Amino acid sequence: MTLSLSDPTWYPIASSEDLPFRHVYQGQLLGRELAVWRADDGNVNVWENRCLHRGVRLSIGINEGGELKCQYHGWRYANRSAGCTYIPAHPADAPARRIQNRTYPVREAYGLIWSAANDQQAFRPFAGAEGHDWFALRPVPVNAAPEDVLAALGGLAPDDQPADLLPGLAVRFGGIYYFVQPVDAGRAVIRGLLREQPVDAVATLRHYNELLSKLRDRLERSAARKPAPEPLQPAYDKVSADLATMPDIAIPKGNTITVMVKRKWVSADGVIGFELAGRDGHLPTFQPGAHIDLHLPNGMTRQYSITNGPGELMSYIIGVKQESASKGGSKVLVETVREGDLLSISEPRNNFPLRRDAIRTVLIAGGIGITPLLSMARFLDKSALPYELHYFTRAGETVAFRSELEALHGKVIFHTGLPRAEIGTAIATALGQWSMAQHVYVCGPGPMLETVRDTAAAQGWPDESIHFEYFKNDKIIDNSSAFDVELARSAMTLHVPSGKSIMEVMREAGLTVPSSCEQGACGTCLTTVIEGEVDHQDVYLNDSEKRANSCMMTCVSRAKSARLVLDI
Amino acid sequence: MAITLYDFELSGNCYKLRLLMGILKLRYDIVPVDFYPGRQHKADWFLRLNPFGQLPVLQDGDLTLSDSGAILTYLAKKYDETGLWFPDDPAITAEVLRWHAVADDITSTASAARLALGFFYDFDVEKAQRGAHRIFRLMDEHLWFGEREGRDWLCSPAHPTTADIACFPYVMLSEEGGISRQDYPALRRWTDRVRRIPAFTVMSGVFPAGRAVEEA
Ligand code: FES
Repeated sequence: MTLSLSDPTWYPIASSEDLPFRHVYQGQLLGRELAVWRADDGNVNVWENRCLHRGVRLSIGINEGGELKCQYHGWRYANRSAGCTYIPAHPADAPARRIQNRTYPVREAYGLIWSAANDQQAFRPFAGAEGHDWFALRPVPVNAAPEDVLAALGGLAPDDQPADLLPGLAVRFGGIYYFVQPVDAGRAVIRGLLREQPVDAVATLRHYNELLSKLRDRLERSAARKPAPEPLQPAYDKVSADLATMPDIAIPKGNTITVMVKRKWVSADGVIGFELAGRDGHLPTFQPGAHIDLHLPNGMTRQYSITNGPGELMSYIIGVKQESASKGGSKVLVETVREGDLLSISEPRNNFPLRRDAIRTVLIAGGIGITPLLSMARFLDKSALPYELHYFTRAGETVAFRSELEALHGKVIFHTGLPRAEIGTAIATALGQWSMAQHVYVCGPGPMLETVRDTAAAQGWPDESIHFEYFKNDKIIDNSSAFDVELARSAMTLHVPSGKSIMEVMREAGLTVPSSCEQGACGTCLTTVIEGEVDHQDVYLNDSEKRANSCMMTCVSRAKSARLVLDI
Repeated sequence: MAITLYDFELSGNCYKLRLLMGILKLRYDIVPVDFYPGRQHKADWFLRLNPFGQLPVLQDGDLTLSDSGAILTYLAKKYDETGLWFPDDPAITAEVLRWHAVADDITSTASAARLALGFFYDFDVEKAQRGAHRIFRLMDEHLWFGEREGRDWLCSPAHPTTADIACFPYVMLSEEGGISRQDYPALRRWTDRVRRIPAFTVMSGVFPAGRAVEEA
């Protein structure tokens, strides 16, 4: 028998006990090295043992419970999806979308972790697997060809009880099963299972360990006399070029995902929690601060932040404010959407990237603005990075996601029902004077954002250290101007009359233009400006970005000059 | 009285002492010795401190000491008020010294392979690697059964001892000598535990471990 790199058979690659929480196990199957780790939610990940960045082994990485962090350069990969969530030194502190490490199928059963070189075959229990309380022996690695190991194990069977060869390099006699894990052409691990729990576990383990160690010594002595087999040569996929390049901020609308409302509950007075679960398997990786567009039954689209912590990809949890007066999206969601309903969401996108290289991080939330900051706090928490979370709620309003907040280990400060004047002082104290590598993130009602921006600026915080996200542009858009836009790449000049946005004009001319909020809040339609003076009316860009005059939102921004040249 | 360590940053044997002194919160001065490429450990001034021509050397006031295992014992007995790092019990003393001897075996195999590959020493690399694998196999078995019997460390007390510190560095640096630890999962888990000892410090080539799940 020769081993094949593409053999789809499921083999055991570890014992359950090999994977205590916050450890990364180093395994190998058919020549491929594996990083195997259990996340805090119990999920076992089997990945190619290689950081996409430089190919450094992930088995020397840090298991942070929801993400695995490469020790050399700090790239992070999420539980379940192996999606990259963080590229240090990246200008936006964010990865390009869909950078994923290679994963392998995994199943935990009978005290062992099973995997396969590909997912062409579904996992099937071995013959006679069901109905027993299996007991795993100490695995014994052997430097000998897997087929020789299998033959030798068969030879252990007593004369009156011949060994039964099973598919997948396994052999059985009496109540004992041996599986040979084909590590490589000349290496294997013997993994034994007993059908019952023994009376004296340690004595039994020692007995079999001695037996198998002797077998191993014999096998290795005879392997040393033979020529060593050529090791298998797994090919690694080339790392794609977009790893090195900047991700596009403008993400075309398009791919939607169907999710089921798994749970709907009252998280606080006026705040409804929704748990949206993927229909099969996990949802895409997201970064802290990311949001999804939710397509509502009435045709509207609304953005909601994902509150989950790192690597929690089985469902997204969002919080929706129930505004009695609102006729908008939230009302439909709160009143008509029920548990069990199906909804469409976009892939998560992030306009609110969290820096993980800060010395001090201050998170300030007002009311429902807690949602993106809860996610950020959870990421910082899992990575043991210092942060302070200040959560302002009005008198009468209750605290949403309280138990989730109380489960955090960092500093969480609730400010409830403060009078307006005191909110200002509380914010000033929370911020303190700025110094190197301090960052503040704010999400809340417009006036609160303004207070934080003004206070921070007054206390020496530079623009780059103040991060905020608007879901709504409260400003009145002045669309009275008229001007020409020259679309450099499309070789087209269009006239934008008063009363129409650049985006509308471009669409009328037959161009596909990505957008989401269409009110200058989300950044989806961000466009590079080549020439001309922009009349920014969005709330997405900060003042210095606006002054730079190098990009704009085509949904609300206009021109102060007679002509704008855009990189479209 | 001042403690002075004659130190080479990349030496695992010197690191053992930095590690224990860090854990015991001792203050000490460092005199860097250019072991490679300068070979200062064979210079006259150094041979006067330690005629064996080996790092590390530690001076504590008038006392000059050499051999990392001996110095670990000295530091623990003199400065560890808890008495945990080198317990007084005769049977445990024997156990700890047994593993100090294993630490020396690891030095003569895993460290030798690393010196050959990384520092161009003229050693038999394959022989050194084979020797290291033989020791790692035994350690893995010892630690694996330890976990089954409720023992997390090399010796029987429910806390680490100088034996763990003595064996740790060259196990951790073994990859630099071309010795993979893939076949020793229990040994790899033990290195996680050592790296989670409060006040643990790193050296180049030795990374910190993540937090354990219960802490924080
Ligand atoms: S579509 Fe949201 S900023 Fe233009």
